[in-house]
Order: sequence, then structure tokens, then C-alpha cells
Amino acid sequence: MIRDLVSALDYSSFAELALALFVVAFCTMTYGTLRLSQKATDRFASIPLSDEVEDPRP
Amino acid sequence: MTFADHRCSWRLLLERCRIRVWMLFNYGNQRIEMATGTPTNGHGDAALSSDSGTEEVRLEQFQYDDGIVRLFATATIVWGIVATLVGLIVAVLLVLPSITGGLPWFTFARLRPLHTNAAIFAFAGNGIFAAVYYSTQRLCKARMWSDVLSRLHFWGWQLVIVLAAITLPLGITQSREYAELEWPIDLLIAVVWLFIFGGNFLMTLIKRRERHMYVALWFYIATIVTVALLHVFNNLVIPAGWFKGYSVYAGVQDAFMQWWYGHNAVAFFLTTPFLGLMYYFLPKAAERPVFSYKLSIIHFWSLVFIYIWAGPHHLHYTALPEWASTLGMLFSLMLWMPSWGGMINGLLTLRGAWHKVAADPVLKFFVVGVTFYGMATFEGPMLSIKSINAFTHYTDWTIAHVHAGALGWNGFMVFGMLYWLLPRLFQTKMWSDKLVSLHFWVGTIGILFYIIPIYAAGLMQGWMWRAMDDTGHLMYPDFIETTQEIVPLWWARVLGGVLYVSGMLMLGINAMMTWMGRPAEYENPVHTAPRLTKHYVDDTPEPHSPIEGAPVLEVGKKVSIWSQMGWHRRWERLPVRFTVFTTIAVVVATLFEVVPTFLIRSNVPTIATVKPYTPLELAGRHIFVSEGCYNCHSQMIRPIVSETKRYGEYSKPGEFIYDRPFQWGSRRIGPDLAREGGKQSSFWHWTHFENPENVSPGSVMPDYAHLLTEEMNYDAIAPHVEVAAYLGAEYTDEELNNTAEVAYKQAEYIAADIVAQGGPAKAYEKQAVALIAYLQRVGVDLFATEEPEAEAAAEEAGADSESTPEEAEPAGDEAAQIDRPDQDVLVLN
Repeated sequence: MIRDLVSALDYSSFAELALALFVVAFCTMTYGTLRLSQKATDRFASIPLSDEVEDPRP
Repeated sequence: MTFADHRCSWRLLLERCRIRVWMLFNYGNQRIEMATGTPTNGHGDAALSSDSGTEEVRLEQFQYDDGIVRLFATATIVWGIVATLVGLIVAVLLVLPSITGGLPWFTFARLRPLHTNAAIFAFAGNGIFAAVYYSTQRLCKARMWSDVLSRLHFWGWQLVIVLAAITLPLGITQSREYAELEWPIDLLIAVVWLFIFGGNFLMTLIKRRERHMYVALWFYIATIVTVALLHVFNNLVIPAGWFKGYSVYAGVQDAFMQWWYGHNAVAFFLTTPFLGLMYYFLPKAAERPVFSYKLSIIHFWSLVFIYIWAGPHHLHYTALPEWASTLGMLFSLMLWMPSWGGMINGLLTLRGAWHKVAADPVLKFFVVGVTFYGMATFEGPMLSIKSINAFTHYTDWTIAHVHAGALGWNGFMVFGMLYWLLPRLFQTKMWSDKLVSLHFWVGTIGILFYIIPIYAAGLMQGWMWRAMDDTGHLMYPDFIETTQEIVPLWWARVLGGVLYVSGMLMLGINAMMTWMGRPAEYENPVHTAPRLTKHYVDDTPEPHSPIEGAPVLEVGKKVSIWSQMGWHRRWERLPVRFTVFTTIAVVVATLFEVVPTFLIRSNVPTIATVKPYTPLELAGRHIFVSEGCYNCHSQMIRPIVSETKRYGEYSKPGEFIYDRPFQWGSRRIGPDLAREGGKQSSFWHWTHFENPENVSPGSVMPDYAHLLTEEMNYDAIAPHVEVAAYLGAEYTDEELNNTAEVAYKQAEYIAADIVAQGGPAKAYEKQAVALIAYLQRVGVDLFATEEPEAEAAAEEAGADSESTPEEAEPAGDEAAQIDRPDQDVLVLN
């Protein structure tokens, strides 16, 4: 059944479909990332700089 | 205990398991036990309690396990020396093919996979593990979950490497690039990688004491998940004994799966873990945070999402369906951006600190490594463009490209990491800083001496293979001319290799002397950190929709809040969920390509005249595969004018349905063999194996005289035929039940042919006869005529086809397949 279903697909547009899928995912991720606060990103970026725990977190 | 009690206790157990899994998924970074419980991590951690008012905060003491990092760092250096030495040996074998005196274990085709496997899995692999074990503990503020698993991982992985070093020179190989190891070793790899390494890593994440998972950990997660997926699905085989397995995929589908694996081995073994390494060790060495954390997030998801699609760019203009090829090219081109995002992020981390680069060799290694990453990731997408790929594919350009990446990016990132790590691991100063600097310069010059001549060699091959005169004839019809022209450039590569190996030896000496200067006892500081509480209180304010008071639908407000990505912040705190979603990103792309390839029948149109290999031919193909002939000879004629003029009719997908594994190759040191059947006499092949120079003066092929002396074991053919039959090849009862006799009969026929042409008697006793049978069969089925009766075909099994490619016409369904609408013959000159 799946074989028949997939065989019936017009797969010539798969490349475009895949591109659209990626663009949606990429735009979503980028948009959200750009909205991150500077404070949060600065804190995350500094994690590897110290092997000690900086502050007791909740 | 009654049955009802049993059932009740089982229900209770199941319910507990369900709750545990649910909590792992939703609160993966927190203890599932009650706050008053005692942690039992096996490291003797002390726990100190203090009252935070709302919930108990447990201060815990722990020590990092640097012993395992020392082991992996040492293995990295040892295997690095071995891998580059073997690389140097195979470079020498190309210019001096007879230097090993015809010993079968040391031919180029057997040692080249040993070099690639050693470089990728032994050198880079151990380097990755050193990086992961060092950085994960510190990023998680936790010791690795299990010391036992860490050690099992180390020794298990070294066992895999040793087994590879034994089996590959013995000719025990699948002959699939970067997946050469046979099925028992593949099983060991799966266990060591997924269950031991993956399990230990994931449990460390779950038990961590740092709330946010730093971006390097994301790259490690993607690496572990995807490599496991690639390895398992690319190595699905039916065993034909302990040392041989036949792929469940055949021909086009096998090629597709192999390059889905092969390309993503580069992506998720040689790229993502090294990016994790870069995001941790570069800021550490530069003593400043990464340039842009936001860019690192975009970099991660883009890379993970795109990379997995790009495999088909290795198969442009082959018998792969055109849509898959286009998809591969499209995503390969898109890969340029996230890759350069990573490079920019790495290099700009050093903004304002370039004065440090001038003084610190560690940073020099990192800068050159990241620069080579940028170069290779620009070149990769460029080479994936079909018209460019038509020129570069099969040439040495590919070899230069991968070595720019391997020597520059992987090698230099590992060196930079090791030079930063060694003083910290051995708790003493580096033995010689001058030697570190010398390694840097020798290594850099070595890379340039390697890649520049090989780029030139690739360009020369590309032009010479397609050069045609005004009358439409090939200017260099003899393939050997094109090889002889680049031999001086191969010599230059040897010099580059010598320099790079020298650098490796400097690292080895420096590391050993540093180790000798270590203290009598290593300090192992105790760290204190609170265990993460069950309920995380995020200090960022609750997201509010900017359109809160506006007269819009409620769903609009929800979308507005969702777009603020609070959910992603949550993922970053939940390792199990993060792992699951990373897996989904990879699997979706894979299914998008794999499902149509496997289910759409028109992707592989059948050709009525293409029949299974006879038992003797199958045995000969096994020898072809074992000797690694695909390392030098492709079996894929692309629809390009110069190529069809040189080799014959271009290859069709239906021709490969019995090829397990496919042998299309990715490089031509010798000519393509896709239409080899019937081109030369059997005695020509015999002489060619004895000494290639006898029939091809100037050939760089080593002799295969051992095939003329080693006995042919006819009784060993049956398992191969049985597995081929199991996988769908149609064999008669006679071929299945009297395999040895059927094979022997065909061998006698070929042996008589050899005698008639002036060759020695009793050739049927030797292995060469099987390989000759196979080579005489390759590519002839397309031009064969249909047998009127199947029984006649069975009786004639072993008889050579009388028709030759030059005089016969395509038959059967193929008549309709010759002019495929999606792939016209190119006019590229």
C-alpha cells in the first residue's frame, strides 16, 4: 500500500519541497534565535570559560 | 504469592517505568529520586544539604575523570602517527608500485582503506573522544556517568582499530568507502558507539549540574545519534560466513545508501564533533567567549538539517535518478552558508585577540584549522554543482579536497586541542614550545605541498580525459597517458606527506617528553556544585505577546508567544528531548530521500537481459571486492561524450541489480571497467595480473601474481551463491546444489581459452580464472540477446557471450531505457 502510494507521487518536485521544508525550519529558528536576550546569550557563551560553578543556580 | 499478586506487581513495575521514562523526557536533567534520596553515582560523591527555603539544594562534591582523557589523547597521537605513515606508504606505492615485492597484503588497494580508516576512525575518532570526555565533564559540571563504560569504550574502540588493521590487509573488506569493515566488526562498532559511548554520554547529560547545555554538547549529541543511524542502516548485510557479508541493498540503491552514509560520515564524524571541539577549546585557548552564541544556534540547526540531504552529490551523472541528484546538489549548495557561519564564528572569537595568535601556537593551529574548514566547505558545495562535478569526479581533485579537510581541519584542530590539553592532563609544562611551533610550520607547509600538486593533477586528469580534437576524437585515447603525466605531481605529494608525518612525530616526541616530566602523583581537585533542582525557576520573564491587548484571535497571540522560542530554551535544558528532536531532523531528511529511492520502481528500470552472475563469476567478483579494485577502477560510465567515446555505452540503473556491493568507485587511477567484458582476451588478463607492465607499459598497477599461484577453492563458492539467491538472484537447482561443479565447468572453458591463446595449462586451478570470468562478464548483459528458453541458459552457464559491445544492439526493455528523458548525453569538452 505504501509502495503504491509513494509510486503514485510526482517526485520531480521533491527537491523544491525539501527546500521549502528547510526554509520554513530555518526562518523559524533564525527568527527565534534573534529574539534571544543578550543577557542570556552572554551567560551561555561564557559557560566553557570556567570549570568551576559560577553561582549556585536554582 | 498469587497470580493476581504477580500481575499487580508487574503492573506496578510497568507504571513505575512509565513514570520514569516520562520524567526523563520532561525533567531529564533532574534527579528522579525524591530530594531526600541519596545519590549513587559510584564516584563516592559527597552530598551536602542546605535549605533554600522552597526546595532542598544539595551541594555535591565531585572530581573530573582525566584518566580517560589521557588514554584517548595518547591513542590519538599513536594512531595519528600510524595513519599518516600508512598514508605516506600508499602515496609511495602509487609512484613505486613494485616496492613491496608483490606481497598481496601491501598493495595500494588493500592499504588505502587501512589509511582512510586509520585517519578517520583511529586518529580523528580518538581525538573526538578525548575532546568529548574532557569538555563534556566540564560543561556538565559532572564526572562521566560510569568509569567502567568509559574504559570499555576506550578498549572497545582500540579493539575495533586493531581488528581493522588486521582484516583490511588480509583482503577482508566490504569495499564500500569508509565502511570497509566486515559485519562482525560492524556489530562491535555499533555496541561500542551507541550503547557504551552513547549511553555513558547521555546519562552524563541527564545527571549534569549545569542547567544549560552549551552548544558544543548539541554537536556531540548530533554526532552520536547520526553516526549510529548511518552505521546501522548502511551495514545491513546477510552473512556468507564470518568474514563476508552481502549488503541487503544492490546497485543503485546500494550506491545511494553508501553515499548517504559516506557523505554523512564526513558530516557527522569529521565535522560536527570537531565543531563541538572548536566551540569549547577555541574560547578556552583564546580566553574569551565565542563570537556569537546566536550564530552558533543557527549554525547547529542549519547544519544538522541540511547535511543529511547532500549525499547524492557523490553520484552526479551516474545511474542514480536525476531528482535525487538535483536534491543533493541543492542542499550541498545551501551547506556553504551554515558552514561559513561556523567558520566566521570561530575566527571572530579571536577578534581583539590576534596578538595572542601571533604568540600562541595553539591558537595558530586553531586559526589554520578553521581556515581550512572554510576553504573545504566552500569547495565542497562548489564541487557539488553538476557541471563542475562532471569535470572533477573521479579525478585527483577529490583527493586534494578531502586532504585539505582532513589534514587542515581535522588534523590541525586535534593538534591545537592536544597542545592545549597535554600540559593540563600531565600537569606540567610542554617539553618544548619551539617544537610545537616547528610542528605548526612543518605541518602547514606539508599540507600545501600535498594539496597544490594534487589539485594540479586533478585539473590535468579532467582536461586530458575529455580533450577532443577537431575531428571529434579523443586526444588522449590511451588512459595510461593521463596517469603518466601526473606521476611527478604524485612525487611532490610524497614530499608533502613526509613533512606532515614529520610534524606528527614531533608531536609524539613532545608528548612523550612532557609525559615523562609529569608529577609523581596527579592532582585531582574536588569541585563542589549544587545538584540541579527538580523545578527550574527561569530568571527570564514569562513571555508576553506584544499583541496582548489587540483585537486578534487567541491563536495569533499564542503564535506570537511561540515565536519567542521559549520552547527552544527548554529543549536546551532537556537532553533526552533535545536528542529526540535532533534525531527527527536527521530522520525526516533521510526518509525524504530513501523512501522514494527504494519504493519507486521507475528509479531502477529492469533490463530483461541482465542476469545474475554465474557461481564462478560471483567468486571472481568476491576476489575483485576483496582486492579493493574499486579504489582505482570505477564501474560507471557517465553520459558524457568523452566518456562514452573512451569506454562505451553509458551505464544504466538496471545493469546493477545483482551488484552487492555496487562498485562504481569514486576515483580513476586506472580506466573504467563498466564495459570491460569482451574487450580483452582471457590470456591478456592473465598476463596483466602477472605483470601489468607486460601489456600496459608505464602502468602504476602492482602485479597480482599471487592470483596466478593461489589455489581456487571451488567448495567455498556455495555460501556466496546461497546468499545471492536468498537476496533475490535467480539460480537453477543445479547452480544451488552443485555449485562447485558448475563453477569448475566454466573455469575449464576459460582455462582452455587461455591455453588456446598461448597461456599456461591448468589455469582453472588458480584464483585468477574466477576474476577473469567476472571481468569478461562485466557490462555485457546490456548487449546480450534473450535466450529462448531458461533451460538453455542454465546449460550454457559459463559460456561466454559471443556478441561484443561493438556489434550488438541493446535488447529487451532496455530499448526504451537508452534515451532517458531526465539525462541526456552531455556535450562537455
